[in-house]
Amino acid sequence: MTRAGGAGGATSTATGPGRVLVLVYGIFALAATARAGYQIATQLDEAPLAYALSALAGLVYVLATVALATDRRRLALGAVLVELVGVVAVGVVSLVAPQDFPDETVWSGFGQGYGYVPLVLPVLGLLWLRRSSRAASGR
Amino acid sequence: MPAGIAYRVPVLVPAVVLVVLAALALAGWAAVFVARDRAVVLRQLWGGAVVEGLLVVQAVLAGVLSATRGAPPEPWEFWGYVLTQLLVLPLAAAWAFAERTRWSSVVLLVAAVTVAFLEYRLLVLWGPA
Repeated sequence: MTRAGGAGGATSTATGPGRVLVLVYGIFALAATARAGYQIATQLDEAPLAYALSALAGLVYVLATVALATDRRRLALGAVLVELVGVVAVGVVSLVAPQDFPDETVWSGFGQGYGYVPLVLPVLGLLWLRRSSRAASGR
Repeated sequence: MPAGIAYRVPVLVPAVVLVVLAALALAGWAAVFVARDRAVVLRQLWGGAVVEGLLVVQAVLAGVLSATRGAPPEPWEFWGYVLTQLLVLPLAAAWAFAERTRWSSVVLLVAAVTVAFLEYRLLVLWGPA
């Protein structure tokens, strides 16, 4: 992939709107991994499932951040899809069976603790991956 | 709740208010640049450095307060937020400056709003429940 949207190739996923996306993914990567690390280190036995999911969410955000920042489209697509499935699945389960989620994860209640950004982010990610891949002929 | 809270709040609240105002001013400046379709300029990074300086002072203050008046109720979480907060602006500034379009201004805007939001979380974590 050409960097910075060189003529003839697709736009790098790290430029333009992608730059903002990478920042937001980066913030969530930092927040989710830090939270998961803290929870697993101090209180794993309280809610092992919720904390394992926090760790998974953190990992997915790290992968998405790196993939988008370095223009690795397939990795980015995979990470964003796992993220979308994760936030929807955890969101549904946390509503239906709240006893399995005694403590907050980033994805609980479709990410309501984080202003629903975790729900919007993968959708924006997918839209951006699609748009940037065909941006070469457009603008 | 430890009795220390009564001492902390009068010190920490003004610090948080100051940082939030500075961060929102930076966000507003970035928003103007977004509206005018301009990239981040060096002067804005100096603005970011001012906010970062305030954050460092606040972190030192929090350290002194927790050493003398007792630790915050959730120390790991509290210091996690303090540390995260210190990282956001420098990383975002470097990331924004490499992009020479209006999107760099959006990056700065998001980073500044994030700092303001983290300040709010910090206050909740330390203040009375």
